[in-house]
Amino acid sequence: MTLMNGLALAARSMRRHRLRTFLMTLGVTVGIASLTILSSLGAATRQETMARFKRMVGTFDTVIVRPGSGAMRGMPSVENTPATLTFADAAAVATIPGITRVALVQTAFNVDVIYRDRSDTPGVFGVSANWTALRDDEVATGVFFSEEDVRARARVAVIGTDVERTLFGGADPLEQTLRIGNVPFLVKGVLTSRGAGPTGASLDNVIMIPVTTASTRLFNRDALTMAIAQLEDPLAGDAAMQRITVLLRQRHHIVPPALDDFTLTSPRAAMDRILAVGATLRRLMIGVAAMAMLIGGVVIMSLMLVGVSERQREIGLRRSVGASRVDILVQFLIEALAISCLGGGIGILVGLGGTEIVTRLQHLPPVLVWDPFALAVALSVALGLMFGSFPAWKAARVDPIGALRS
Amino acid sequence: MIALSHVSKVYRRPDGPPVTALDDVSFDIGAGEFVTLRGPSGAGKSSILHVIGCLDTPSAGTCRLDGEEISRYSDRALSRVRGRKIGFVFQSFNLLPRTTALENVELPMIYAGGRLDRQRAERALDRVGLAQRAGHYATELSGGEQQRVAIARALINDPPLILADEPTGNLDSAAGAEVMAILTALHAEGRTIVLVTHDEGVAAYAHREIALRDGRIESDRRRVVAAQ
Repeated sequence: MTLMNGLALAARSMRRHRLRTFLMTLGVTVGIASLTILSSLGAATRQETMARFKRMVGTFDTVIVRPGSGAMRGMPSVENTPATLTFADAAAVATIPGITRVALVQTAFNVDVIYRDRSDTPGVFGVSANWTALRDDEVATGVFFSEEDVRARARVAVIGTDVERTLFGGADPLEQTLRIGNVPFLVKGVLTSRGAGPTGASLDNVIMIPVTTASTRLFNRDALTMAIAQLEDPLAGDAAMQRITVLLRQRHHIVPPALDDFTLTSPRAAMDRILAVGATLRRLMIGVAAMAMLIGGVVIMSLMLVGVSERQREIGLRRSVGASRVDILVQFLIEALAISCLGGGIGILVGLGGTEIVTRLQHLPPVLVWDPFALAVALSVALGLMFGSFPAWKAARVDPIGALRS
Repeated sequence: MIALSHVSKVYRRPDGPPVTALDDVSFDIGAGEFVTLRGPSGAGKSSILHVIGCLDTPSAGTCRLDGEEISRYSDRALSRVRGRKIGFVFQSFNLLPRTTALENVELPMIYAGGRLDRQRAERALDRVGLAQRAGHYATELSGGEQQRVAIARALINDPPLILADEPTGNLDSAAGAEVMAILTALHAEGRTIVLVTHDEGVAAYAHREIALRDGRIESDRRRVVAAQ
């Protein structure tokens, strides 16, 4: 029996048993579609999480130094951090070999910002002038403040797009004066929008001012809420953290086992933790999809077994006109494969459509991940082979004499 | 064409004693003979047909078919012989349902290797007088027509041997006569015909009659062919 004849036979048989073919195909389609949709969504979610995290931290080649020991909730701010991390500490960290620069940060989230009759409470970030370089922030219009502004404690501000919209409502904010905690600041620029962070909250509801100005004119505080050290070698994070720890312990006179009054985190490690949570969820989804595939396989097998016992006579006849056991086996396997590939093909189309719809509904970026689809093709074939071989073997074992006599 | 030598067939049953269907049967059938196998049910007619037809192998003895010793052949080799040298005609026609007459006739070509030759199938249908019914489904045909389609199917690979198992058993006498006319014509072309039947009228077409009883040959005689 040639392959072409085998395919022709399979096509005829599928046409003769339309309902059964439809049900088997449906079983595979559901399995493959759920697999592709779930794993594409998993991959899209993962990519979106990474993108949001990247938007928040800017670059991964950093070590973040925060005052206080242990984990804390939410963003560090002047209200919830101890005053243990000083400007001098940050300057000392910047002298460590392998650290290219250190950004200084003072943040507050409860300061009223007023422009004319409008007010808002965005995140107020007192930062050093190297912030944009370190965080990949860009200024859309106007300029960021300079080293000179920082040295001079200038009352200048760069605003995020959310603040621009809330306070200025479409009017040009440049060279306008707004009041941060009753101190007047001149708007020098507007940041490029960063979109949503890992929690889904906007990263654009911020105002940047020189950290020196924040320290002396707003918060009256010499302590930072955060220092971000950028590494020369992105992979040397552990060594850098070790050096920073030694330096800060020395400066703060901490001898273990006394607790450190600072905490170091690396964005890479933090993201790994976040992604690990997603990975568990993804494994669960893959499990669900695998279950759906298994059900599809069982549907194929049971319907094929029914088919074999219904088609005893046909098998006997085929044997009498020259089909060997192998011919019968191959014929039934080709049928199973044709059905599982057909179901798989439809499943992939449904999967593509479903992924498109769900990513739109979930406002995920249109990420097309090909892996699950390649896997789906392989699985369709495997499914047909796995669950088709037993019925095919049963068909090959049919005794032609008994079958023809019945 | 066919040479059976001391052929026995014993069916082992999972429960109960083994059944001897054929007990030391020997006979030769020459090329171009028209032979009927007769005898009460259980006499071993079908068992002989299955051994000759390469659907079954003997428990003991040898069977030569067209020069080939087939009694020890593998499934694959038996299938090849079956497909090329033998055409089966059954009592219950055994056409595939929901399949056209033409597709039924094409069936043996699938397993004989090579391409499906539609024109050859059409010629075979024409041969049994059913060219105009080629596109009809098996269930739309009368019993006589179905059996003629089955004969066309048996002929498609041009086998030298036709094995017919009660080919007229399910037909009225007119349709049965048509079928026998076709078989007689095939015999006239030089094909060997072996036919199992209970029907005295059908047996009258053959030149030789082998009667079986209890798995043994009871009689083997030539006869004068009745006027047709």
